[in-house]
Amino acid sequence: MAPKEVTPAVIDEEPEVYENRNVHMIYDDIASHFSSTRYKPWPIIANFISSIPVGWIGLDSGTGNGKYLPLPLDRPGELWTIGLDRSINLLKIARTAGSSGMVREVVWGNVLDNAWRPDAFDYAISIATIHHLATHDRRRKAIERLIQAVATNHGRVLIYVWAIEQDELSKRKIPTVEDGHDGHGKDVVVPWVFSTQLRKTSQSAPEKPQTFNRYYHMFAKGELSGLVAEAARELGLKLGPKPESSKESVEGLEIIQNGWERSNYYVELKRWTI
Amino acid sequence: MVRLITHNLLACHVGGCNSNNFPLEFKDVQIELREAEFNADFVRAFLPKIAWKALVDTARQLGDTSLPDEQPTMIDDEFLKNLHHVLLEIHVEEGVMICPNCKHNFPISNGIPNMLLAEHEIG
Repeated sequence: MAPKEVTPAVIDEEPEVYENRNVHMIYDDIASHFSSTRYKPWPIIANFISSIPVGWIGLDSGTGNGKYLPLPLDRPGELWTIGLDRSINLLKIARTAGSSGMVREVVWGNVLDNAWRPDAFDYAISIATIHHLATHDRRRKAIERLIQAVATNHGRVLIYVWAIEQDELSKRKIPTVEDGHDGHGKDVVVPWVFSTQLRKTSQSAPEKPQTFNRYYHMFAKGELSGLVAEAARELGLKLGPKPESSKESVEGLEIIQNGWERSNYYVELKRWTI
Repeated sequence: MVRLITHNLLACHVGGCNSNNFPLEFKDVQIELREAEFNADFVRAFLPKIAWKALVDTARQLGDTSLPDEQPTMIDDEFLKNLHHVLLEIHVEEGVMICPNCKHNFPISNGIPNMLLAEHEIG
């Protein structure tokens, strides 16, 4: 399948308005087709969820079709992940994600809001979500919300975003322009071709396939870790591993791992207190 | 759904509404009871994380009086099963959650709570 042409995006209005038109409305339109193409959990994410102990409760911030809500498959019911998303049509699919017919917990909301009581969750994942936010500040704020949602002394966070550097298995072709390697990332639109035949209409005349252009901010190397550092600063958290001892009480955030996997940058975090 | 396991986490986040914003109060609810597989290990391990008074008060609001005012010192199977039922088997399909402080209404439709705020409410 030929890689899709990705073109630069120009954000020419208020970020909420831009996101509404170029992200939220589109997902509501393409929900069922989109859901059918998103079914395979990625290894680092599956491993993260498999390592979560029994009794933990987590947030999937930007759950989409809920494909992570049934995990881990070998220990269903030992932990609970609650799915949050902005698209009501995707949430209706997420509500019964997985093949067991189990009903999931889903919430219609905005990842930039903090609709939870303090220390609500033990873990939070944000997979392919914050790259839909149109400004640096909003992307940082989304990371702050993830950190705020999890327990101060043991909360774990995993974030995954699309990278400028795409591997050869990627279906996306990013135009190579000189900038984008200065750590600032690139704003692009990625086409989604929605064949209306999927709607199984009874009309005899063939429908021309519709194309939706979704907004993404493709991350540059180091950009995600940079945002994490800024978020930690905003929240007054010390960035780094938990020290052996401390004269005063400190709240901190440790980067457990970070890297690039299959055209995505990821970072895993852990909160600590001393 | 939404079930009480989720409700026990949701707070009002209208701009400036920072105290007495949890738990949200249910109103005009349509409930469905649906069995969920009982996992004693999960319930036992999850127990310390529950905002207990909020859960008990809310369960009673919805007509379930099986939970004690305080968490018992001796955890037995019957207690775990009652707690499992309250957390995971009472589905609020329709209704509203109201903030006790600012009275903002968060509607629930088809079991999905709507936590979106209007622009001016974000603060």
